[in-house]
Amino acid sequence: MIARETLRILTESAKYDVSCSSSGSGRKNTGGIGNGMPDGCCHSFTPDGRCVSLLKILMSNDCVFDCKYCMSRRSFGTPRASATPEEICELTVDFYKRNYIEGLFLSSAVHISPDHTMEQLVRTVKLLRTKYQFHGYVHLKGIPRADPLLVTEAAKYADRMSYNMELPSEKSLKLLAPQKDKESLFVPMKQLQRERTIFRGEKRRGFFLPAGQTTQMIVGASPERDGQILRLTQSLYRAVGLKRVYYSSYTPVVDDPLLPSAQSPALREHRLYQADWLLRFYGFDVAELVPEDEDLPLDVDPKCAWALRNLQYFPVEVNRAPLEMLLRVPGIGGKSAQKILSARRYTSLTFEHLRKMRVVLRRARHFITAGGKFCGEKNLLSVRGLLAAAEQPEQPQQLSLFDTPAARSALTGEL
Amino acid sequence: MIYFFDGSKDAFLTAFLLAYRDQNAVLTAGNRQLVLGQESVFVSADHERARRCERRFTELDARCMHDLSLLLRSGEDGRGQIALNYFRKIAERGRPVRGEMAEDAVREASECIRRVTLEAHRLKGFVRFMESASGALYAPLAPDNDVCDLLIPHFRARLGNIPFVLHDVRRGKAAVWDGTHAFKAPLTEAEILLSADEDKWQALWRQYYASVNIPSRKRIRQMKGYMPVRYWKFMPENPSAAAGDLPMQRAAPPAEQDGALHPHGSSRPLPPPPGR
Ligand code: SF4
Repeated sequence: MIARETLRILTESAKYDVSCSSSGSGRKNTGGIGNGMPDGCCHSFTPDGRCVSLLKILMSNDCVFDCKYCMSRRSFGTPRASATPEEICELTVDFYKRNYIEGLFLSSAVHISPDHTMEQLVRTVKLLRTKYQFHGYVHLKGIPRADPLLVTEAAKYADRMSYNMELPSEKSLKLLAPQKDKESLFVPMKQLQRERTIFRGEKRRGFFLPAGQTTQMIVGASPERDGQILRLTQSLYRAVGLKRVYYSSYTPVVDDPLLPSAQSPALREHRLYQADWLLRFYGFDVAELVPEDEDLPLDVDPKCAWALRNLQYFPVEVNRAPLEMLLRVPGIGGKSAQKILSARRYTSLTFEHLRKMRVVLRRARHFITAGGKFCGEKNLLSVRGLLAAAEQPEQPQQLSLFDTPAARSALTGEL
Repeated sequence: MIYFFDGSKDAFLTAFLLAYRDQNAVLTAGNRQLVLGQESVFVSADHERARRCERRFTELDARCMHDLSLLLRSGEDGRGQIALNYFRKIAERGRPVRGEMAEDAVREASECIRRVTLEAHRLKGFVRFMESASGALYAPLAPDNDVCDLLIPHFRARLGNIPFVLHDVRRGKAAVWDGTHAFKAPLTEAEILLSADEDKWQALWRQYYASVNIPSRKRIRQMKGYMPVRYWKFMPENPSAAAGDLPMQRAAPPAEQDGALHPHGSSRPLPPPPGR
């Protein structure tokens, strides 16, 4: 059994990674323990409001790299610990059995060398799948500069893998993460994408990263603008086929003249997640949302901002507008749009109907008519102010942490 | 007229046949009370009539009996009335009405069903098992809705051969998977001999939960929004202490429930070996 202090150190060093999703895998329990739940599952919530889904832990925090923003970096004085593959497997299975977790998110600092570290990660997940017969969710972090053969081997056993971009440009990487560069991250990402496509094409039995790849970027540690970040995001979705890009507000944990001393505002991260959502689920292109050298507006969400720039499309009639257009109405999310489509088949919808169906009208009312009736503000100039005021004070919270179906609907409902 | 029924499907269908033409009918599975100035009747199940009614409804809407089973699991007093109004609408239209969200009766039923399935969904995450000396798993829970047995297929699929008991301490019943069969059984008090390492795994879990939190961000409202406080009681990570709340007071519980579970108390009257 792993020592409590080891668990403490390895958890504390892993906790700033924002991805914790357990979705996307339909792995079945074939005579052991565990299976995948395609929608993911939250098992607990911590007082910071984040969901606990996976056992998120490092194999080791004893790093030979020296990324400036990281607590595990070589030149930083912090207690070090490493766990064995057996310890991790045992911990995973015993937590899983008690329904504490949905699976394992195993990452590591670069301990001894990239190959050694990757080997340890691969050994652990292999052991878990074979000796322990564990079929629950496993997310493995890829170690930059490890042997491509190890990368392929890992993907046979893991449900999801991620190489973290961390910084949105080569220049910032050079400055802040001297042992990494864009190539060391993109090359394995593309390798995995290629191999996954081939695997799927051959319709072979078994698995190869059923839940795909994700990545994470730190926002606010370096000078890139939202426009630049979101262009990278869109290309990661389109060209590298990533399932998800996470954004993490920069939090100063170490002092360094190259790093800002202030926490990056949560609202910026929130806006990036909203824009990301629009790219993935609402049919927007990044060019519609923000120019490359600008940030997203903070006063209103990116969909509102788009609508205000494109008033020629509005108001739309809820009884006739096609789904794509309903989805572009500020405040109408996927769920509300579906409800409207379904209900209007039977009757002509009024504002009263919409209210009862719990379609949030605070923002939407300025952009729709129901049965020809308009309930919004006629003076277009004041709409922006009203929309900004309609933002709930609660909102600029960690959407990064929202990765459950419930959370997703909460988000889509509001967007 | 007020129609009381016992909450079962057949009693509901029997009551439905009596009540559906009466626009002022109130149908309730709540406690029978004297309501001044209103006549009331207790309807007990007539299985034959219920079968006929069920067949007819299934012809109109193949999925409506599934809806009914979920509605009747609701812990809300209004469930009988919500179901009555919904089924009345199906009878009126002579077809499924599920999509007609602009209709009060349909929307209320759909929201009620959603509350039931949402709780079942949440519990897939929030249930906490403890391991008994025999290796079987035991989880106490007190759900708002009668959903324990809905969880069996989920845990059965992932736990494979491990037997488990989901004990609804509020309703005094359990949903059991004994390794070969799934069944429901009345269960008030439970006594379990825990496995040798159970305490240590719970302690490691508490350590993990404490370490993975980022103390500089305090979002207790969000935490409580996603994981309502009523589920905290049986969680060994003790979210209440972590959130800085006062330790939860147990409102003097009825004796049989008190016996059931102190999942992380020091002196523990323990739940029974899983089994019948
Ligand atoms: S390689 Fe990873 S663990 Fe090591 S210093 Fe860089 S970010 Fe930290």
